[in-house]
Amino acid sequence: MQSRFSFLRRWEGLLLILLVFVVVYNALSTPGYLTTANWINLFQLSIEKIIVALIMTFIIINAEIDLSVASVMGLSACTMGFLYMGGMPMEWAALMGLLAGVAAGLFNSFWIGVVGLPSLVVTLSGLIGYRGLAYLLVEDRSIGNFPAWFNRLGQQPLIGPFPLAMIVFFVLLVFAIIILQYSGFGRYVYVIGNSKDVARYAGVRVQRTKMILFVASSTVAALAGLLYAARLGAVRGDIATGFELDIITMVLLGGVSIFGGSGSLWGVLLSVLIILNLRNGMGLANLSGHVQTGVIGVLLILSVLAPNLASSVRASWNRHRARTLEAGKTG
Amino acid sequence: MQHVSKRFDATQALEDVSLTLYPGEVHALIGENGAGKSTLIKIMTGVHQPDSGTILLEGAPVHIRNSQEAQTLGIAAIYQEPMVFPDLNVAENIFISHRNRGAVVNWGRLHRDAEAVLRQLDVHLDVRMPARGLTLAAQQAVEIAKAISLNVRVLIMDEPTASLSAHEVDQLFRIIESLRNQGVAILFIGHRMEEVFRIADRITVLRDGKLISSRTRVEIADLPAQREQVIREMVGREVGDFFAKTEAPRGNLLMSVRDLGKTGVFSGVNFDIYEGEVLGFAGLIGARRTDVGLALFGIEPADSGAILFDGKPVEIKTPRHAMQLGIAYVTEDRRGLGLTLPMSIATNITLPTLRRYLNALGLIRRGAEDRTAEEYRKRLMIRTPSVHLEVGKLSGGNQQKVMLSKWLNARPRLLILDEPTRGIDVRAKAEVHHIISDLAAQGLGIILISSDLPEVLAMSDRVLVMREGRQMGVFTRNEATQETVMTAAMGQHEPTITDTEAARL
Repeated sequence: MQSRFSFLRRWEGLLLILLVFVVVYNALSTPGYLTTANWINLFQLSIEKIIVALIMTFIIINAEIDLSVASVMGLSACTMGFLYMGGMPMEWAALMGLLAGVAAGLFNSFWIGVVGLPSLVVTLSGLIGYRGLAYLLVEDRSIGNFPAWFNRLGQQPLIGPFPLAMIVFFVLLVFAIIILQYSGFGRYVYVIGNSKDVARYAGVRVQRTKMILFVASSTVAALAGLLYAARLGAVRGDIATGFELDIITMVLLGGVSIFGGSGSLWGVLLSVLIILNLRNGMGLANLSGHVQTGVIGVLLILSVLAPNLASSVRASWNRHRARTLEAGKTG
Repeated sequence: MQHVSKRFDATQALEDVSLTLYPGEVHALIGENGAGKSTLIKIMTGVHQPDSGTILLEGAPVHIRNSQEAQTLGIAAIYQEPMVFPDLNVAENIFISHRNRGAVVNWGRLHRDAEAVLRQLDVHLDVRMPARGLTLAAQQAVEIAKAISLNVRVLIMDEPTASLSAHEVDQLFRIIESLRNQGVAILFIGHRMEEVFRIADRITVLRDGKLISSRTRVEIADLPAQREQVIREMVGREVGDFFAKTEAPRGNLLMSVRDLGKTGVFSGVNFDIYEGEVLGFAGLIGARRTDVGLALFGIEPADSGAILFDGKPVEIKTPRHAMQLGIAYVTEDRRGLGLTLPMSIATNITLPTLRRYLNALGLIRRGAEDRTAEEYRKRLMIRTPSVHLEVGKLSGGNQQKVMLSKWLNARPRLLILDEPTRGIDVRAKAEVHHIISDLAAQGLGIILISSDLPEVLAMSDRVLVMREGRQMGVFTRNEATQETVMTAAMGQHEPTITDTEAARL
């Protein structure tokens, strides 16, 4: 008995049960919920955050944090908008936007990997600095009137019913799972997250691994920023502001430890599905956005507590049992 | 303690153990890792509750529900790694648990009281000094002082000498003597037999959670046959050759180190090491032997002097570089630097050599990885149900073997072992000694850094002695005795030119 339900002790198991519950509830209460169109719509509303959450999973498992992702999204989108307005063809402007993200990643990597500053500080500076750059570029204008093909990529299905961003997500998801869960690089990410000293003493190039991750993080964020611009059909200086917290929430709710070293992309995938469906279900049940956010917050606290909760409940049960046994003997 | 039993899930950690501690008596508890010593301590200090049995204190049954209650009853424990607060000073650490200090600290009184407690132990320490800078031995003294300040009646010492040098052990034993004279009951858990025989009035052997025997020192003193009997009882089997280095033919010159130094850390290190040779590094704590090891492995590279590997001058700047040359370093800090405890045995073993287990796409070949792990599990007799078990769940000795596997799999030519038998039980220790001997016979050069003097003397072909960052001499197997090595380690022997020549022998 004990072993059959032992997966419940893992956070992923609880997430799975919660997901099934939410999906069944939504399916019963809302006709048309279980259609492809509805699910694509669900994903599409947060697709850029979900894409960035994939790479954020690597970063947090590595025991680091990247707070600058949302500002990098803004920087890449605004770079693209600025250059397009200045007369550059859209495809080139988009490429430059992406390169702006790569540059931001290299900048972060330099301070974290070469100089050795904590990523929290470096990327907090990035959060402020890259957002500032984005505002410098577009000031308080809204830049739109992008070519029709560009907006279509953001808004219309590309292959079958799936828009470009969904396809990007699927491709990145497959790559991310293969790299993190099955490759040598992924193994290093976990080991460094557990103890970078152990990794160093085993000849693992710790700083190099971290630098690769931070360049990848900003690059993926820049790509997500461009996709977001295409979906909105316009860019402003405040585009994607505050997204970093939603992204980090997705990752932590998926059972990834903020201290690094544990968690998996499977858990993050479950957490994304739960957040989307929970919000959808609560929306349909006429709960306000604030209540939805509150519920997600409670879940997040539970996700951090869960591993400790299970063991402390068990310990107090054992103590209780020991006492009653003892009382039975002496009494 | 009477008829105490404790079971964790499937393991019976303690079975019907009865034990009596008397005031003014040092009671030694010995047994292999997993014999139940830690569980016994945890029950006595209220961390665990016994499933059955009772604890009597001065004849009256007591229920110790948590460590706070243990402290109130006058039961205190100190461990291998002292638990002091590094940023508080000595006096604050001593009185950290006192509740009735009021809102304002009377510093003058605090310092005077702390000095009084330390005087009682005959320990000389500046009570205003922050604990951070203290040696391990001094930190232990602070912990003992803390216990005294709480009117300790039962003091449990869990392997207190494991990280101490011989000189510091002497100091600790003087403190223990003084506590004994003050009527404190002391439970001393130790792995080093000679220490146990030296300090204990009564020696109790635990094995597999059962009490095997309990004897007074008088029954054992100066009777080698009785001592062997005690060791046999611990391991439950005959101990053959306790130390096992067999003579192996010395091969080619592997590495020469000339006047190696690192500013402010060590200087003037000179030695040659040959294939098939075990070169012992002896010295007291603070002799900087580990720092030399770290320099040779490229973690903290040296900044002066020369290293010749296979006759070619090399500069070792990173661990990767050292590994490419064929140098492996097995750290003394198993938990902090050697193993990722939450990850599996197999994962830990293949970490330095992971590239060998990748396919063309960079994916890990799990089958090959598992085969390697299984191979080492058999070869080094790692006791585990599966190589997928978390390393953190293994005993210290088995963790040590995983760490050895990890580095043997890198197929090194020079293996640097830093305290390879610290904190592991007698059986695992003997096994590690056999492994070292076998490896030397296969032609590896081995640098054995160890604070266990009998171990260094028995295992090494030559012994290099260091003291406070300086090389004090190199002794051949015949020259090296407890006396010569200890004299050099304590600074009675200044390095001379002949030592440099001895290094080349």
